[in-house]
Amino acid sequence: MIKLTRRGTIGLGLGAFFALASASTALAADTIKIGYPANLTGIQASLDGPMLNGAKLAASEINASGGVLGQQIELVIYDSKSDSTTISTVASQLIDSDKVVGIIGFADSDSVLAIGPQVQKAQIPFITPGATSPKLPGQLGNEIFLAAFGDNVQAAVGAEFALNKLNGKTAYLLTDIGTEYTTLLSDYFVAAYEHGGGKILERDTYKIGDKTFTAQIAKLKALSPQPDFVYASSNAEEIGLILKQMRQAGINLPVVGGDGYDTPLLIQVGGDAAKDTYFTTHAYIGEGAAPKVQAFIDAYTKSVGNAPENAFAALGYDSVKLMADAIKRAGAPDPAKIRDALAATSGLDGVTGTITYRPGISVPDKSVSVIGVKDGKLVLASEAAPTFVAEP
Amino acid sequence: MSREARITLLVLVALVAGAAVAFGAPHVLSDYFVRIILLIALNAILVLALSLSNGFTGVFSLGHVGFIGAGAYISGILSIPVQQKMALLPHLPAFLHAFSLPFLPATLVAGLLTALLAVVVGYPLMRLSGYFVSVATMGFLIIVNVVLINASDFTRGARTFTGVPLETTLPWVMGWLAITLFVLARLVYSPFGRAMKAVRDDTIAASAVGIGVLRTRLIAFVTGAFFSGVGGSLYAHYLGSFSPNTFYFALTMSLITMLVLGGMGSLTGAVVGVVCVSLLSEVLRTVERGFTIGDFAVPALFGASQIVLGFIFILVMIFRPKGIMGDREFTFGLTQGSATVNQTEERKR
Repeated sequence: MIKLTRRGTIGLGLGAFFALASASTALAADTIKIGYPANLTGIQASLDGPMLNGAKLAASEINASGGVLGQQIELVIYDSKSDSTTISTVASQLIDSDKVVGIIGFADSDSVLAIGPQVQKAQIPFITPGATSPKLPGQLGNEIFLAAFGDNVQAAVGAEFALNKLNGKTAYLLTDIGTEYTTLLSDYFVAAYEHGGGKILERDTYKIGDKTFTAQIAKLKALSPQPDFVYASSNAEEIGLILKQMRQAGINLPVVGGDGYDTPLLIQVGGDAAKDTYFTTHAYIGEGAAPKVQAFIDAYTKSVGNAPENAFAALGYDSVKLMADAIKRAGAPDPAKIRDALAATSGLDGVTGTITYRPGISVPDKSVSVIGVKDGKLVLASEAAPTFVAEP
Repeated sequence: MSREARITLLVLVALVAGAAVAFGAPHVLSDYFVRIILLIALNAILVLALSLSNGFTGVFSLGHVGFIGAGAYISGILSIPVQQKMALLPHLPAFLHAFSLPFLPATLVAGLLTALLAVVVGYPLMRLSGYFVSVATMGFLIIVNVVLINASDFTRGARTFTGVPLETTLPWVMGWLAITLFVLARLVYSPFGRAMKAVRDDTIAASAVGIGVLRTRLIAFVTGAFFSGVGGSLYAHYLGSFSPNTFYFALTMSLITMLVLGGMGSLTGAVVGVVCVSLLSEVLRTVERGFTIGDFAVPALFGASQIVLGFIFILVMIFRPKGIMGDREFTFGLTQGSATVNQTEERKR
């Protein structure tokens, strides 16, 4: 009889784990593999989760209609845990072990900066559905593509919306200097707003994670004359608190911001105080949305069990369609050909707008939706492409 | 063969084996496995640096990650190429703009500056004992984090610090690991090492026999800080981009877990802890993606790896409260020799 020592048991267990791990990858041969690292746990989970659901929906739709180049596509998904060390390990796993032909991932610029050097070195095309820093391709290289508009575009639309629709000639600017996204967004807003003839009366800052904004609000209240509106470049958690504390202090000015507002938290935390708030984002996915968006909402609700949480779900969906389209036009699952096909993408119709890359520019020109809050609900306030856009 | 010759031989064999892994692995293994080995070696340096004060001297520091962060940022600022510095950090003082250092000097400077920082911080803090020193060093970690976020001219604030050249390769890390192990082994298993353990086990008795408690603790703390700073630099040049929150409570917890799991009073225990935790979390990370055996499919359960890992830690602490190695070392039969030698020497006295 074979006697198992404790050490032997541990060895067997580990061996079984590794065998299982390799078995799961070996089974799925003859598919086109697309890497999908996602921050499913950690601080980015509320954005990356819906995004992954959207991506899976797109992949199953593509596979149901026959796949790409006669092959099924397979999303190779790893949880990168909102941690840059894990992101770099996952990247090498995808590139080296899983041999993916392209990678899609992340809703924030910081995670893209973490994975960028490796995908660039391995010459694997990479699409980020949700990161919006237009500087990313310049910082990292020619394999990096954005599926969303750049922050310079949404800031410009926000500025023009404030100038023309809200008649806001003067502004108070509040910036979260804790993240790359909010800092850049503010800079682009100032460029576009001042170019359009607006005047910033006063500016102040805070950091992601702050809970009280009394000092900033007091500064705003002391302004004479009062500005026409407030531009708050904020992330999802803080904007609700800012609105609440501002309305309590008796300030009823309109508040304008970017796609960082676009989570259910805005209305959950802000409540009544969220009235007269406007933000620029990728698509309007509420009541009375455009037919193609409504079709997406229905399909998402059917496969996930709830309506899309935010526009990032739609961006995840569009990114997989974008990659599949490039693979189809490349004619072969070859990373170099896919990259070239991706760069030549023109007029691809998606839920979040039409994607076209101008030569040498990996940030698409897309229209921006401006969403306002009315009676505790999100309504489409405007949809526009800006007339002036600041350089990235 | 005499004991000294055997030790020399063992060290040589270990060095040759390490060098073989360092230079051979990238040719034989895939990039993924090379990265896992690299991360294990890198974390081993960090955990070893931590073990010096937390394990051997009884100063349970929660602030070492502050030194790692400081080392990462210092070396990062020094080694970003001059052209990129202007674009990424436009408000740096002029003399920092003028030059950029190669990897090794930047790492050494980072280590030395963090050691200097440790002298300043440690001088008042090393007078504290027990829980108080843990809380005080945690205060230091928080201060470092706030400074990193607010000194935005140097660090880009809370935004991602990027552009650090990716220079950390396996031979570099293995080399630094060998140096760390060598220095620490010499320090811990020397008369001074005995003083450290005496301070840990009974502070009053130690000072009664003439051991300078503050001096002993400070030397352990500063040496640990030097290697933390070096490790921070290696980390910075491995990741290429990082933010102040990369070096905060999450990293502190994971390093302490590795140390406690491996055994607090043992250098090889620290390494064993790192290897076990790293391999286990890698395996679990792959398994949580779901798998199929025949017709039986286990769906993906993201986040399960953290739960299982936590559960295993609890089990280890119940069944081996002193960690896997406790205070023993892997010595391939050499400690027994040394123990008997010591005993005979003591008997002679």
